[in-house]
Amino acid sequence: MIFVVTAYHAEAKPIIEYFGLKKVLKNSRFEVFAGREIALVESGPGVIASACATSFLLTEYKARDKDIALNIGIAGAKNSNLRKGEAILCHKIIYNDTKRAFYPDIIVKHDMKEGVLETFNFPVVKEDFPLELMEGDIADMEGAGFFEAASFFLPPHGVHCIKVVSDYLERAVEPSFVSDIIGKNLPLIEGFMSSLETIHRFIPKGLSENEEEIIDKLAENLRLTFTMTHQLKNLMLFYLSKNESLPGELYDFLNIKANSKSEGKVYFERIKKLLC
Amino acid sequence: MKELKNCFARSFSHIYVEEGVEEAPLTKEILKKFPKAVKVRIKHYKDVFCRPRQNFFVQESSRKLIIAAKNWELLYRGPDVCHSFGNENFYYTSPALNCVYSCDYCYLKGMYPSANLVIFVNVEDFFKEIEDLIRQKPIYLSISYDTDLLALERIAPLCTTWIEFARWKEDLKLEIRTKSANYSAISSLAPACNVILAWTLSPDEVIKKYEKNAPPLDLRLKNIKRAIGDGWNVRLCFDPVLYFEKWEAAYENLISRTFSVIPADKVKDASIGVFRIPRDYLKRMRRNSPPSEIIHYPYTEREEVYTYDEKIKRELTEKVWSLLKKHIPEDKIFIL
Repeated sequence: MIFVVTAYHAEAKPIIEYFGLKKVLKNSRFEVFAGREIALVESGPGVIASACATSFLLTEYKARDKDIALNIGIAGAKNSNLRKGEAILCHKIIYNDTKRAFYPDIIVKHDMKEGVLETFNFPVVKEDFPLELMEGDIADMEGAGFFEAASFFLPPHGVHCIKVVSDYLERAVEPSFVSDIIGKNLPLIEGFMSSLETIHRFIPKGLSENEEEIIDKLAENLRLTFTMTHQLKNLMLFYLSKNESLPGELYDFLNIKANSKSEGKVYFERIKKLLC
Repeated sequence: MKELKNCFARSFSHIYVEEGVEEAPLTKEILKKFPKAVKVRIKHYKDVFCRPRQNFFVQESSRKLIIAAKNWELLYRGPDVCHSFGNENFYYTSPALNCVYSCDYCYLKGMYPSANLVIFVNVEDFFKEIEDLIRQKPIYLSISYDTDLLALERIAPLCTTWIEFARWKEDLKLEIRTKSANYSAISSLAPACNVILAWTLSPDEVIKKYEKNAPPLDLRLKNIKRAIGDGWNVRLCFDPVLYFEKWEAAYENLISRTFSVIPADKVKDASIGVFRIPRDYLKRMRRNSPPSEIIHYPYTEREEVYTYDEKIKRELTEKVWSLLKKHIPEDKIFIL
């Protein structure tokens, strides 16, 4: 699953349209749009709002290690070496308030420019804010909140901030312009998403959901202790390192119900022999 | 799988540089070798290296480099799971963390939260601590346990720096453990009598199956032969000895091939150690690992260390020892 967090509807709109997401009709504090593989939440502006919406979405959809979370939105650039409308993949995100920095793992190839994002608690306008105090290349009001929240759920190679340069720290930006520049970058962002998905698809996993279910069932039916269950999982992985699939005889044990722990132990020893 | 390979950014696509070491000569030397890398400034190496929920197995395919300074605990007492080779004051140090090879059995996967490579550039601080220590007692110091320094020599010439530091220091004996075929990176140096180049050797079957990215046996042997020919002290480490189908034939072949290339009488000593790993490291390795004959083998736990059961352990050790002693005097073979 790919989770997308945006601050404003103007940022979300082109993503909703591009990926054909539908509004999720559920009574919740946040607007959520979802398709088969993508779920998007509109957080509203600010670090806390972004962190809350991220936690909400990732909890609601039971985020797992192989999922991806992206914060997509606009940001103001400090220097004109970054072009308006250009998408920036952030390799460092600084929370201006605490100076704490976060680092996503950039493990896939991509065609975006990279830069440092600095997240502020207020809109940064160059007339009012001395830019020498800004460490990042671009400024926003959500990235750090999103990143810290998403990092509670996902590994750092699966959490990214992608910001499209909308201005040079001037005042308001037109919503239609925001939608336009985000929309234009979606093919690039989609390529990035698909590379991350490929990695997750091909990286060999531990046990499949079906195999995990077999463990749960055996543990319950045979009254296995926590340690024995853990050993069983390990033995199944050991067996699968040498064989394509689990031995057929293992499935026979699914129909057995042990009447006591000692009886379960006898069956467990037989399973051990089978898998070693 | 080709599709997968094309997705990964190249290793060292990003180099994280800790505040305060930007101007260190070694930092500059390393950065010069990666002109296209994205440089990211960080406060402390642990901000990147110790992030929660990193996936070692994913990161291995696109390792990043972290350049930093180590500020405390520069030397450690040699652990019980390692050979002291009869030396009394056994220490080790880690001028770098992690390795460019991806051996399935490697404890680093369980010891570190990240597959990224850290190079500490404050070499002088390490040297100062050692100088202070050898003023009190002679020490035996291994500098390439948590990394493979010789494999990194073209990136950061740490072996050269350490060898030159150790040269003529009578109270310092240095061991550089490696699997690399990178001897040429230090071959211009005169051999130092208190430095031991220690090569880990494994059967071809093991190298092909479990030592991803590491040089094949032939290349390692060629490098060892050159090093011995140049007058270096060379140690052969048959460690870890692994238990697998047809292991006996594999180790027979390994040892006969080794001594068909290397003059046995010129070998300083050799070590044998069956696979062993601290319990907590293995637990961590098992958490993220795909099914693996090594990682998921049902080991026996003894004093918080996982290893083969006593019978297998004895069989492995005795077999390799009996093969080795045909070439090397028994008193030069160290068993753990």
